[in-house]
Amino acid sequence: MARLELQGLCKGWDFPVIDRMDLTVEEGEFFVIVGPSGIGKTTLLRLVAGLEAPDAGKVLVDGRDITALPPYRRRVAMTFESYALYPHKTVAENIASPLRARKTDAATIAKRVQSVAELLRIDHLLDRKPGEVSGGQKQRTALGRTLVADPEIFLLDEPISHLDAKIRHELRQQFHTLEDLRKVATLYVTHDYAEALSLGDRIGVMGSGGLVDVGTARDLFERPANLFVAEHLGQPTINVIPARLESHADVLHLRANQGDLLLPVDPARAHLLAARNDGAVTIGLRPQFVRPADEMPAGSAQVTANVDLYEALGSTGILIADILGLRITALTSPERIFEHDTQVQLAVDTAALHYFDPRTGANLTLQTPGAGAATAMASSVASGISSRAEA
Amino acid sequence: MSEKNYRLVRTLLLIFLGLWTVLTLFPIYFKAITAFKSPAETNSTIPSFWPKEWHPENFVSVFAESSNFQSLVDSFVIASGNTLLSLFLGTLAGYAFARFPKQAGGENLAFWILSNRMFPPVAVLIPMFFLFDATPWGTDSRISLIILYLVFNMPLATWLMMVFFRDAPRELEEAAYLDGWTPLQAFMRITLPLVLPGMISVSMLCWIFAWNEYLFANLFVGTDVKTYTIVIPTFTHGSQTLWNLQMAFSLMAMLPPVALFILLRRYMVRGLSLGVVKG
Repeated sequence: MARLELQGLCKGWDFPVIDRMDLTVEEGEFFVIVGPSGIGKTTLLRLVAGLEAPDAGKVLVDGRDITALPPYRRRVAMTFESYALYPHKTVAENIASPLRARKTDAATIAKRVQSVAELLRIDHLLDRKPGEVSGGQKQRTALGRTLVADPEIFLLDEPISHLDAKIRHELRQQFHTLEDLRKVATLYVTHDYAEALSLGDRIGVMGSGGLVDVGTARDLFERPANLFVAEHLGQPTINVIPARLESHADVLHLRANQGDLLLPVDPARAHLLAARNDGAVTIGLRPQFVRPADEMPAGSAQVTANVDLYEALGSTGILIADILGLRITALTSPERIFEHDTQVQLAVDTAALHYFDPRTGANLTLQTPGAGAATAMASSVASGISSRAEA
Repeated sequence: MSEKNYRLVRTLLLIFLGLWTVLTLFPIYFKAITAFKSPAETNSTIPSFWPKEWHPENFVSVFAESSNFQSLVDSFVIASGNTLLSLFLGTLAGYAFARFPKQAGGENLAFWILSNRMFPPVAVLIPMFFLFDATPWGTDSRISLIILYLVFNMPLATWLMMVFFRDAPRELEEAAYLDGWTPLQAFMRITLPLVLPGMISVSMLCWIFAWNEYLFANLFVGTDVKTYTIVIPTFTHGSQTLWNLQMAFSLMAMLPPVALFILLRRYMVRGLSLGVVKG
């Protein structure tokens, strides 16, 4: 039962990986960190676990500074991406390991192992060695070993990324229902945005140097701090369209640099962008907001496109369309059929467009102070990298 | 490959393997039958490949001198003592080089240790004699050979153990730390069991080297302590070599390593193949 605080945490090798990161994860909060591979997510967990020493900054649990404590003196449990199960010990012995380290008596160990194993539905495998169980069962064993430890902080490193889709979904649901995880501060690392959106009470998107945006799933999806966040969340990936702002009959429009695409700017945002009239912007358009015209309300902005590729995926269809050289990914209802190289009329929900600064990637239409701070943080991260490089 | 070619290659392979087997087994066979021959038969101009008369009493007469049996005991103690010491030091050093290469002195120190195996042993024969002669226990003692053989066995043990430790995932130790085990506990409970097959292979290699060593033993010991390797050449009668007794005695000396090998071969194979296939 504790809250986790990171203060000005720094870690780098030849280059800074984590740069002056501040983060507070409250007791009971499930905080998901999502980001591309190799960006330093695992390094962050290792810093919290004490497996790496930070170059600067502090790790605090309930206000206690644990930065100098070795991992075996911290009450932090971590699952490894590789599971790290002891191959020469049985599933039961693996799960019991943290209890044995604390010299718990045998009867209590047996009881705790049994109850955790039942919770994770691996109680029939307790006598097997890790080499004799499936990937999903290995993951549950690794999870059991952390759950039984009754730690103050939970660290989960890509716990379900390497499992097949069906088991992944099942375990994802299980994370929602594990009471033990809901009582402590949890840091959960993944590169899968769907996992992040599904599980996180709050989500931090990690870019180079640290977190570039923090918020709830809805915040990040609807009001991304910058283009990096928008591109990282969502499947299919958001359409990124370089464009210019233009005034036509006193109404602000945007014109794509390539292809014949001219769209009116949503009046609710026009005043925020007016100062950029005649300036370049980068447009973010999520595929679910551009659809065949007959699937959208009448009066939506329309454009004619050429069908390049169509994938019917059962619950949805993905249409890759070409507007005179501009490729757009659109979603359709699943029963549609589109032939290659035929014409299609697409409609765009202009209220759902995102406007980014083409140079910095910052979202130009954020109004909430919180999100503004996130943008400021992103730029401070960028400046932090350069100042550290000089040092 | 066509069916015909396949059979041809297979046949040639079998012939080759058959010849190879005969080639390697023949000396052992000849040693075994020589041990049963009479001295006269061993010296006949045309060698016989089957004894004309059987003399099993050869095996009794080699132990007529009680110090001959004692030499096997001495060899066993020296080989085992040296193996335990090599393994202990090699395991600790190998772990240090595998996990903390910088703190442990880096590649240079590791290569220096290995380089001790690269010079011809005879080059240090005389200096080593004077060096050990100056110690309180002198040269003619078990402890002198136990320590001396470290020169050859510790580099081997260190390097092989280093490779085995590198193959043992570091994450398992880290997981153990997070479970609450101290580094020493994690080493003993998690890492050491993982490299156990490797340790057994290494100890076999060390043991066999120390068991068979002749050059240094011949110079160092011989009065208070004898190894079996320096006893074998003593089976002579005047200027005549008693081949039958030499073979009988060396056949007896083959038994301990063969027995050890059979006992531990399951681990040996696993140890020697560790690192080839990641498990």
